[in-house]
Amino acid sequence: MSSYIMVIAVLLPMIGGALIPLLPFSKRNMMAVYIEIIVLITSALTFMLIFNRPVDAFVLFRFTGQLSISFRLDAAGSVFATILAFMWPLATLYSFEYMKHEGHEKIFFAFYTITYGITLGISMAEDIVTLYFFYEMLTLVTVPLVLHTLSREAVLATRTYLYYSLGGAAFAFIGMIFILIYGNSSNFTPGGVMDLSRMGDNTNLLLLIYVICFCGFSVKAAMCPFSGWLPKAGVAPTPVTALLHAVAVVKAGAFATMRITYFSFGTELLRGTWAQYLLLALAIFTIVFGCSRALKETHFKRRLAWSTVSNLSYILFGVLLMSPLGLAGALTHMLSHALMKITAFFCAGAVIYKTGRNYIHQLDGFGKKMPKIMVIYTISALALMGVPGLCGFTSKWYLAKAAVATMNPIGYIGVAAILVSALLTAIYMLTVTVRVFFPGKDFDYESISDVEDPNWVMILPLVIFVIVMFVVGLHPQFMTDAVSSVVAASF
Amino acid sequence: MSHEKLENSLDEKKLKKLHCIVAAVLLILVLSALYAVWSGEGSLTLFYIMDNIPIYFHVDALARVFVTVTSIVWLLAGFYAFIYMGHEGNEKRFFFFYILVYVVLIALELSGNLVTLYFFYELMTLTSMPLVLHNGSREAIMAALKYLFYSMCGAYCALFGIYFLYQYCDTLTFRAGGTLNMTLVSGNETILLISVLMMLIGFGAKAGMFPLHSWLTSAHPVAPAPASAVLSSIIVKGGVLAIIRSVYYIVGVDFIRGSFVQTAWIILTLLTVFMGSMLAYREKVFKKRLAYSTVSQVSYILFGLAMLTPEGFVGGVLHVICHAFIKCALFLAAGSFIFHTGRTRVDEYAGIGKHMNITLWCYTIASLALIGIPPMSGFISKWYLAQGALQSQTGIFRFLGPAVLLLSALLTAGYLLPVTIKGFLPGKDFIPETGEGKESECRKERLDIMNAALIILAWFSILFGVLPNPLISYVSEIAYRLFQGGIR
Repeated sequence: MSSYIMVIAVLLPMIGGALIPLLPFSKRNMMAVYIEIIVLITSALTFMLIFNRPVDAFVLFRFTGQLSISFRLDAAGSVFATILAFMWPLATLYSFEYMKHEGHEKIFFAFYTITYGITLGISMAEDIVTLYFFYEMLTLVTVPLVLHTLSREAVLATRTYLYYSLGGAAFAFIGMIFILIYGNSSNFTPGGVMDLSRMGDNTNLLLLIYVICFCGFSVKAAMCPFSGWLPKAGVAPTPVTALLHAVAVVKAGAFATMRITYFSFGTELLRGTWAQYLLLALAIFTIVFGCSRALKETHFKRRLAWSTVSNLSYILFGVLLMSPLGLAGALTHMLSHALMKITAFFCAGAVIYKTGRNYIHQLDGFGKKMPKIMVIYTISALALMGVPGLCGFTSKWYLAKAAVATMNPIGYIGVAAILVSALLTAIYMLTVTVRVFFPGKDFDYESISDVEDPNWVMILPLVIFVIVMFVVGLHPQFMTDAVSSVVAASF
Repeated sequence: MSHEKLENSLDEKKLKKLHCIVAAVLLILVLSALYAVWSGEGSLTLFYIMDNIPIYFHVDALARVFVTVTSIVWLLAGFYAFIYMGHEGNEKRFFFFYILVYVVLIALELSGNLVTLYFFYELMTLTSMPLVLHNGSREAIMAALKYLFYSMCGAYCALFGIYFLYQYCDTLTFRAGGTLNMTLVSGNETILLISVLMMLIGFGAKAGMFPLHSWLTSAHPVAPAPASAVLSSIIVKGGVLAIIRSVYYIVGVDFIRGSFVQTAWIILTLLTVFMGSMLAYREKVFKKRLAYSTVSQVSYILFGLAMLTPEGFVGGVLHVICHAFIKCALFLAAGSFIFHTGRTRVDEYAGIGKHMNITLWCYTIASLALIGIPPMSGFISKWYLAQGALQSQTGIFRFLGPAVLLLSALLTAGYLLPVTIKGFLPGKDFIPETGEGKESECRKERLDIMNAALIILAWFSILFGVLPNPLISYVSEIAYRLFQGGIR
């Protein structure tokens, strides 16, 4: 496949999205069809690229010397691209229904679609400069999405989001400079690009820079202590919280950390150093911390957001194990968490859309009135807990396998943290299930007589996600094969 | 007790239909399960859940024992429930989950590798939870949540162990004598022992072993009687089976024998045996008392297993069987008392034998069996448990163990028999309560499905005591294979 198709895949949604406010749509449905077509074409192109990866890179333009915006789809990038290309059309479908009650649809969908192109850009970035460029753009285009409702709360959340993200990017920038100085090239190369001869006595400095750079990128992946923005950003409309704050944006952060660890600094340099242990400790702490905060939270979407914080650190934990198995675990969890969490968020969104209720204690007895949504929610909860037969078990298995194989106490602690967090996940997810299905014997169903399941436009994406969760959980062969070929190509 | 129409209950005709369907489904399932296990050794690989780990079922002698016991108890308690559930309502949901749990349990008992076992272990927790919160009261819901979270906590502790065993074992498929790869293990014994201990504690949660035992006494009593009967007699054995499978078939007894894990395990079981009996003795709510008794009795089984001797193993498995029938009978008897009188406390049962003599007789027989009075079945299993302890090399526990078991047997007599004594001999000052709504009690109870089930169970608990030999030789055969010639 020719390499210029990558540019089309990236630019099509960006341009198509930017045109939405300008085009005079006669009806709302016209706009919906237009957007869905753009998104579907992009996804089709992306899948074609993934299954038929172009060999060459494509240089869009060159600033000077090494610095260029260039695309290249490699094995690791195609995992991220798969998630995006699979979920975006479905999430867009869901948004058409959901955004009916939010208003300002044109603006919303414009930025929503642009974000697709930018995240694809991140997955296809050939070098650290391109990655950084799209990473910054990602922050900027998602600001209007968080701001959407224009309420005071939204404004404050946006401000927090901006400060965190821009601050993180600044840290990442420092890392980028060092990679450019000490590396052989700025391109992502399996095994890293660091020139050991140029480093001299500066190893410790470089490790410090790695930590800074990792922290910078992990702001988007909401690692503690940079996780504060994510739950706050839950004020955004649900499609944003679901797709961007559980999948695209946060996974972009995790993906960037994967890039710098395995493809820029290189695991040779980092493995067994204090930098690895420090960051591992932070990730392990976040795994438990996120869950405990989720437990405390009574706002449905914020609870899920804290759960995301914890689960993202599973991915970072896998990344930081710096072994082939660890990378495999991280990639598997990236895939399966995307599925589980977008499903859970969409269920929460369906509740908000239908009833406007945001808090968990308002959901008593919903199981009888919204059976489809609540059953789907329960399945996603079970998957998040890691019940065998669903995708969560598979990915946790690989993470734990990698951690045990390190034969390192900190790996063992990580396994323990994952299991503690699984228990906490069971508590904060299933209390909702029990509440909605078993409200107690004196519960008055009259009080929620107007509650009902949403229509098929909302249900369809959810059903597809659930089916995929089961497929991945019961027959993970194809996924693990794919992931292991990615890992083989990344070392 | 008055039988006013309950919410969600079905009308007479529909109820009959439901019962017919449930009975048919249950019979078909039970017969096919029994046929499957007794028609020879076989295995079945469904699909691969992990690179090299299939969902895999295998029939062996141990599975046969467990499946048979489960099927009999499930069938009897199920028939009992037809009448009993009349006063609980919401039968459809109850029977749906009742049958579902049975299927999951059979799958659990037939699983041929550790991951399959874990898979169905989790499913067992999730599907049996609705049985606990059946009546929907706040207490029941809280108990169900407690059950869920304790079980999950246990399951994750066990999973911790499984992760490590996966690294250090040749295979996670069960093999008599264990599958540890000793070349990999050397140098990493400590972490492996810790993970085995975690597994014991984790699976022990289901079996009501200290420190994760406290869910049991909340969850079992609030469930409807047939559900508490199967929870207490069969589902707790799911934990026992998981422990047998992981200790005897994956890790291997040689690796644990003499290590700190064995010591810790013995201490935990003895502590539980004693504590359970003490608390049962003190407890006044009848079903709660029986639940504490389960805590104590299941740890008898675990104690036998912890001895890591052939006799101990035989004693443990025999006690699995005996305790299943006995405890089912006791809980069903408790259910009958509640069903007919609505009374739940032990001190309210004075004089009950006058009207409910069949139930109370069955209760008494089962109690005697649980105490371990020959020729009842409990005697045989306890004999082997004590034998196993005395022949083990566990230092002080060789004598301490049997002593605790005897003490606990005494306490068992102390907490079970007063019901019989007061029930038949209320004393001469006893004035039977009369008044509205009490007419039904004044009639002598007739033979119906409820006490027919009880009578069968009571017979079982005598039968195994009188004719224990076929059973003993069958279980010894299993032990023989496990220990390669340690017992004859």
